[in-house]
Amino acid sequence: MRPVHFGLAALIVVVFLIGYLEPQVALTDFDPKRDAAFRDTWNTRVHIAYWEKWASFEGEACQKMVEAFNKSQDEVFVHYIQTSQVDRKTVLSTVGGAPPDLVGVWDNNVIPFAEGGALAPLDDFMRESGLTDDHYIPKYLELCRYRGKTYALPTAVMSGALFWNKEHFRRKAADLRAAGLDPDRPPRTIEELDRYAAVLNEFNADGSPGIMGFLPTEPGWWNHAWGYYFGGNLADPKTGRLTADDPANVRAFLWAKRYAEAYGREKLLRFRAGFGTFDSPFNAFIEGKVSMEYQGVWFPMFIRRHRPHMEFGVAPFPCAAGVPGPRSYLEEDVIAIPRGAKHPKEAWKFIYFAQTQGLPILGRLQGKHLALAATPPGFREGHPNLELKVFEDLAAAPHSFIAPRVIVWQEYRDRVARAFEHVWNWPVPEGPLAGLTGAARQAKVDALCREEIEETLHEVTVTMQAKLDRARALDTRRAGRAAP
Amino acid sequence: MKDTRRRHLAGYAFILPWLIALMVFIGYPFLAGFYFSFCDYPPLKSPLFIGADNYLELLGDGIFHRSLGVTFIFAAVAIPLGVLLALVLAMFLNARIRGQSFYRVIYYVPHLVPTVVVAVLWLWIFNPDFGLLNIVLKGLLGPVDRWTSVFFDLKAAAARGNFLRPGAAALLVAPALALAAFGSAGQALARRAASVAGFLRFVSVLAIALAAVAVVNAGLGFLSPADMKELHSPGWLANGNPMPAAVPFAPSWALWALVVMSMWGVGQMAVIYLAKLQDVPTELYEAADIDGANWWNKARHITIPMISPVILFNVVMAIIGTFQVFAEPYIMTQGGPEDKTRFVAMFVYDQAFQYQRVGYASAVAWVLFLIIVALTVLAFKATSKHVYYAGR
Repeated sequence: MRPVHFGLAALIVVVFLIGYLEPQVALTDFDPKRDAAFRDTWNTRVHIAYWEKWASFEGEACQKMVEAFNKSQDEVFVHYIQTSQVDRKTVLSTVGGAPPDLVGVWDNNVIPFAEGGALAPLDDFMRESGLTDDHYIPKYLELCRYRGKTYALPTAVMSGALFWNKEHFRRKAADLRAAGLDPDRPPRTIEELDRYAAVLNEFNADGSPGIMGFLPTEPGWWNHAWGYYFGGNLADPKTGRLTADDPANVRAFLWAKRYAEAYGREKLLRFRAGFGTFDSPFNAFIEGKVSMEYQGVWFPMFIRRHRPHMEFGVAPFPCAAGVPGPRSYLEEDVIAIPRGAKHPKEAWKFIYFAQTQGLPILGRLQGKHLALAATPPGFREGHPNLELKVFEDLAAAPHSFIAPRVIVWQEYRDRVARAFEHVWNWPVPEGPLAGLTGAARQAKVDALCREEIEETLHEVTVTMQAKLDRARALDTRRAGRAAP
Repeated sequence: MKDTRRRHLAGYAFILPWLIALMVFIGYPFLAGFYFSFCDYPPLKSPLFIGADNYLELLGDGIFHRSLGVTFIFAAVAIPLGVLLALVLAMFLNARIRGQSFYRVIYYVPHLVPTVVVAVLWLWIFNPDFGLLNIVLKGLLGPVDRWTSVFFDLKAAAARGNFLRPGAAALLVAPALALAAFGSAGQALARRAASVAGFLRFVSVLAIALAAVAVVNAGLGFLSPADMKELHSPGWLANGNPMPAAVPFAPSWALWALVVMSMWGVGQMAVIYLAKLQDVPTELYEAADIDGANWWNKARHITIPMISPVILFNVVMAIIGTFQVFAEPYIMTQGGPEDKTRFVAMFVYDQAFQYQRVGYASAVAWVLFLIIVALTVLAFKATSKHVYYAGR
């Protein structure tokens, strides 16, 4: 045998030997300290993987829920695996035929994943376990469903409210009273919010903003949803057609645009560019650069983390005059079993545990409320989110809303958000304003902006409706091809 | 004969693993991508053939057009700047000075820093309030404005009014001084008292530079007041306005920020230039010295022609690299403000992974591929008469 052949043969032997001698998965491969309690049952359990997005204290909360499950029985052991971009990895692993047993994704993944057959329906499991619809707040359960089937169940929830800086309100108490406003309470309508904001604004000597009472672009995560607070909707719930150009959405965009025009696009741009990241003491609200802000149920935990003694209040975000409220945008994280998971029954055991016993652990440690219709006794006692009640009420409020349940939602949301950004930055042409002053000028600015907003939102509606129709037609074609 | 065949077979056997990997990991995706570009293909479903629909949709997709525009504008600015900066850097690094190796390492090190780290680092550098860049700009432009104000009224310039101050006449001293120093009088002085003439020339160059700073600052303040105002403390990544404002298709401030940041990696390009620079035969320079050539003549007629193949190589690599820019804008701006930093690679990513449209993304990727091929061919054709290959 020539040396080169001998070398190749030796290499192959070594590779196989390494594969053969690779030690079996052992308790010590994980966290020996944390998992020591399971030493006796370690090798008799079914081990399943749970991919979830949360890190930091929110990840630890998930880990605690998982540990509670692992302690509650001795047949299944769930491994919590913190996974960034968990939605994309779920798609790739499912397509590749090697998904984990459990995934924690977002509610907006449910439709595309279910449509593509990436998620296992949970209805049979629910029936067998006696888990019924009335266990949940209906809108949160609706986010888990598609075409009458349940493909996921809620974990962490989102509801949003108005956060107001009580220190700023107190400091400007006299001015607020002079303007006919009560400094001891937050605004109750959008119109009132604008008046509060105008009094709370503070400007530097050069005219640049020092503190803004309110900014519709802060934090900028829900710019697509402002229309709902003006009575609008992004899709017709009856026909399913997209309605970005709903007159109420136009009003909402115009309301936001007035801020840009009143305080100067460029100045606000510079002002916002100096804000720190969300989870930092330089967060605009935490640092005191913005007096009022729309934020989610998690926010009090972050405020107390970075400024433990900050005095702030939370209230339902006001609606425009005549629009029924209170209302909140509802979103959630969901847990699901991917198609092709090796241990669906064991995975369901964990989901069932989470839905019946685990969610309170998660909710308390993440500082959130629950998606459950009935809050378990003791959940609220000692809850770290002292403003919990406001969010619980909003979650159950009849006028609270969820995103349209359409397959193109992610692109649609991005397009509406992009339209918002375009309108915000759109420079009002000076030509038609020449010679106009005061109210006449303002009316003309409004008219010009309204025209631009209507055109922009109409374009979004037409483009996205065409995409939605096309997606539906292609699915029909695909289904027709598969049928024979 | 049999022996030759055996040798060939052995050769193929050795390259077989690489060939298999090439076919599986590059060849197959390449061809599959071409097929998928004619399909509707959400990754969780089977591909459905739809003909040229994806390509037709591209024709009317405004976001795709914008992202392509951003990529082209970035390429048009960043590639020449990068190539030029790297060339100048390489020439400096080629100089025989103490600590030459140290400088070479220092300039190459940034290239070794991971992209994500670089992006996060530059996010801080570009922060309008606390960023290093704006602090430096403020420190630099403050004295410049004060100096300019001696001769020009900057506020009047910004308002497009008469901005000349009586003191502006004093700026004429600089060209007069230069004329005296470098003119016939200066040459006569140089013959009699070289050190005095040298000092005079130094002073005149300094005066010209200082006068130029004031004139340029005031001139730009008059021609483009909005840009000059913004330059004193730019919003960088948050600012989607074009710079210069008056130039159509000018890059936005946010895109300029990415251009500035892309210069961070020119060290790698410079090292390639440097390798070739050291390959230029010294006898050519000696011959030029004998002919009385100055620094510029030598650079123009010897250095640049001799390293032209490497310049072409760097340009082609930069073209390819520019059309693949993704990580930096994805981390720093997510394509904003208003798509002003949405590169075409980000568009592909959004379509494939955000909106589950692998077929459409494949069509964009193929268009991108054809553009890169076309630009590369164009680069070769356009430079065929200017690139010197010593071996031919």
